[in-house]
Amino acid sequence: MNKLTEERFQKKENRFVPYIMSCHPTYEASIEIALTLQEAGVDAIEWGVPFSDPLADGPVIQQAGDRARKAGGSLRKALEGMKEARQQGLQAPVVLFTYVNPVLSVGFEKVIEGMKEAEIDGILIPDLPFEESEELRKLCNEAGISLISLIAPSSSHRMEKISRLGDGFLYYVTSLGVTGTRQSFSDQISHSINELKKTATVPVLAGFGISTRDQVRHFQSIADGVIVGSALVRFIGEREQALLSENESKEALKEIKEFVQELIS
Amino acid sequence: MNPIVKFCGMRSFEDYQKAVSTEASMIGFIFAPSKRQVKAADVSEWTRAKPYKAHQQLVGVFVNESVDKMVQQSIEAGLHIVQCHGSETIEEVTAVKKGTGALVYKTIHHHEGALEEMRQYRDIADGFVVDTKTQDAWGGTGVTFDWQAIPKYTEEANRQNVPCLIAGGVTVDNLAKLQRYRPLGIDVSSGIESDEKKDERKMMAMTKAVNNTYQAPDYLGRFGPFGGKYVPETLMFALEELEKAYESIRHDEEFARQLHKELKEYSGRPTALTHAERLSDHYGGATIYLKREDLNHTGAHKINNALAQGLLAKKMGKTQIIAETGAGQHGVASATVAARFGMSCKVFMGAEDIRRQELNVFRMRLLGAEVIEVHSGGKTLKDATNEAIRHWVANVHDTFYLIGSVVGPHPYPMMVRDFQSIIGEESKKQMNERIGKLPDEIVACVGGGSNAMGMFYPFINDDVKLTGIEAAGKGTETPEHAATLTKGRKGVLHGSLSYLLQDEDGNIIEPYSISAGLDYPGIGPEHAHLRDIGRVKYEAVTDDEAMAALQDLCQFEGILPAIETAHALAYVKQNAQRMSKDQVLLVCLSGRGDKDVHTIQQVLGGDNQ
Ligand SMILES: Cc1ncc(COP(=O)(O)O)c(C=O)c1O
Repeated sequence: MNKLTEERFQKKENRFVPYIMSCHPTYEASIEIALTLQEAGVDAIEWGVPFSDPLADGPVIQQAGDRARKAGGSLRKALEGMKEARQQGLQAPVVLFTYVNPVLSVGFEKVIEGMKEAEIDGILIPDLPFEESEELRKLCNEAGISLISLIAPSSSHRMEKISRLGDGFLYYVTSLGVTGTRQSFSDQISHSINELKKTATVPVLAGFGISTRDQVRHFQSIADGVIVGSALVRFIGEREQALLSENESKEALKEIKEFVQELIS
Repeated sequence: MNPIVKFCGMRSFEDYQKAVSTEASMIGFIFAPSKRQVKAADVSEWTRAKPYKAHQQLVGVFVNESVDKMVQQSIEAGLHIVQCHGSETIEEVTAVKKGTGALVYKTIHHHEGALEEMRQYRDIADGFVVDTKTQDAWGGTGVTFDWQAIPKYTEEANRQNVPCLIAGGVTVDNLAKLQRYRPLGIDVSSGIESDEKKDERKMMAMTKAVNNTYQAPDYLGRFGPFGGKYVPETLMFALEELEKAYESIRHDEEFARQLHKELKEYSGRPTALTHAERLSDHYGGATIYLKREDLNHTGAHKINNALAQGLLAKKMGKTQIIAETGAGQHGVASATVAARFGMSCKVFMGAEDIRRQELNVFRMRLLGAEVIEVHSGGKTLKDATNEAIRHWVANVHDTFYLIGSVVGPHPYPMMVRDFQSIIGEESKKQMNERIGKLPDEIVACVGGGSNAMGMFYPFINDDVKLTGIEAAGKGTETPEHAATLTKGRKGVLHGSLSYLLQDEDGNIIEPYSISAGLDYPGIGPEHAHLRDIGRVKYEAVTDDEAMAALQDLCQFEGILPAIETAHALAYVKQNAQRMSKDQVLLVCLSGRGDKDVHTIQQVLGGDNQ
């Protein structure tokens, strides 16, 4: 049991889940941003772990990761930062978004332990597909943590077996390719999401490339919610200086809040 | 993972005892009318007299028997597995399962609709046996079916997550051939008999052959714990498509013929085997032979794999080839193949490497390829590979990713190994022809590990010492090296689990070597496995040691090797004298050094003029 599997998240409509990178632009600032997102009314937060070789990410998140690593970011720091955010009043469900190598490096058990301490509800590892996830899935089950699975438009016959083990929510990848903003999406996607919703026992959230208010509305009408990453991460990156300055950080946080509220509106 | 071995058709207590004493994991009895038919009461008596081993399971074979009889006999005989070998319906299979609590295997008789039939038993059968279909007998005839079909049965069984045994005419003599199709299990009856009795020697020969033959990867692409497919879901489809395409050409004679033609008439294979007489004398010890991959078109072994993957891409109907490159050797090979086969080619290359390898960049463009400059990360091979994968994800429908070494997600490490195995196969033949025996030791340099894997693989079951040489750069005690196996930790990079140079947070560390082709922070997963099981020994040599050996080969044999290859030669320089003249040391001369002249000049410039 965790906050993702609770009724509040499972029964909510038009879920909105933003992705931010821990330690981006700094450890402290990323915690404040997480708290700001909660104020803006988001339904959960994806908490990214910086990694040297983020295969599934486009340039925006790659650069944010490089910046975060310069600021001391790592899996350990991400866990520590979330623990602190919880102490400062963060209530929203949180999903740790990390590549598999940092997790292997720290060790599955230790990561789960750290997640429990930081009250992190789910984990999403883009380069750990279904076939490779058995061991971690077992550990997550025992710890009551949701292992979030990705489903792609090309998953076809794999869709059923992945959705059968869906936990927390299913992450439907709305475009082939990496994360990053997109102008347009294939029409086939809405059909495919509808198919998925028929067999899924948990909400289906759409993400990858969604960046504007219209796109958010569009996908909320098809899926059970949306995830926005690169657009927000870029917005944060552009305010790096302000976020780091004592005088301007309040204003920058306010802008981030308004940006998100605009996306949800 | 070794295949399951089932010894079937025990007719007597003696037969049964022999089976128990072997390593077979399943022992089978025929309850249907046949010369091998036995009674449930006999089986129960035999097992009481001689208990089977803890890991062994008893299997009873029935042909169109009534459910009640199957249940009753199965319980009386104490069967673990009921094998429905006739045309039992789904309802009957389900009823037997319920009635006995045992596992139920369904036999599928190989024919056109067999795969469809197998699918109908999904979630019902606990396993399958695929047997030869004959006119008037339900198997046991000792006749084989067309084994080319095995991979698709295996694939379906894997999808259902159940075992699938291959039956029909398996013998000690054709076992090696059968294993090339990587069955999940084998089911033998007549092949282990002499004079209508089970033959203990044949049984032993069979389990020994199965257990001692090196077999990797398994169906998940695992070499021991290494390998696998650690890629985003968006790529799984493309890998499955590639796996299917590869399985379809793997044993295809027409594909083999086309590839052979290209290797021979375009690349100039077979490459020579050269006795390095003066070098042997100079080092004073082992008799040194060189397998001359440098004589290939484009100057290195990389073309073997590029031609093969290029042909496969064409066969799959892809119009675009993409490739990653560090030094540019694989980029050149890919661009070459694209030109030859009339496909467009994009080569991803780190901005830093582009700066260092100006000439190869020019060469690739001359061949008509587009060189894409990569600015992420450290701007070298690792980042070029990331970018190639990202591009592939977005363009899988028309794009073939031509990976240049035994790295990446399954099936690449296996496929590239197979395509490079021509090196070892030719060497084996040439050695036998020239000196009538195999070499005592074989040495190859290891970057990702493709020339080494291609050289080693055909010798893996032979009594030959195998040694891989990594790049120690400025020394493994400094931070500047590329000695992945010597200094790395287990981790995932570019889609597979292997050893990696990484920091304590799991971020990948930029490696260093004077040779761009060895400058990679990972290593093929099969090398990780071969090291851990002790089959191959790995050592690391420094830039300086490699450069010294490079000059020796120039001066004593008139061959300028690639700097990568010079690493293997440095090991020879250090170890040849420990061997005697009647011992043969074979070196994989992976490439020529023309591409390196500039670097060599910079390093040696001062004292060599
Ligand atoms: C001549 C030569 N040898 C060896 C290598 C290393 O690659 P691998 O370990 O895959 O054989 C390269 C790579 O560029 C090469 O060009």
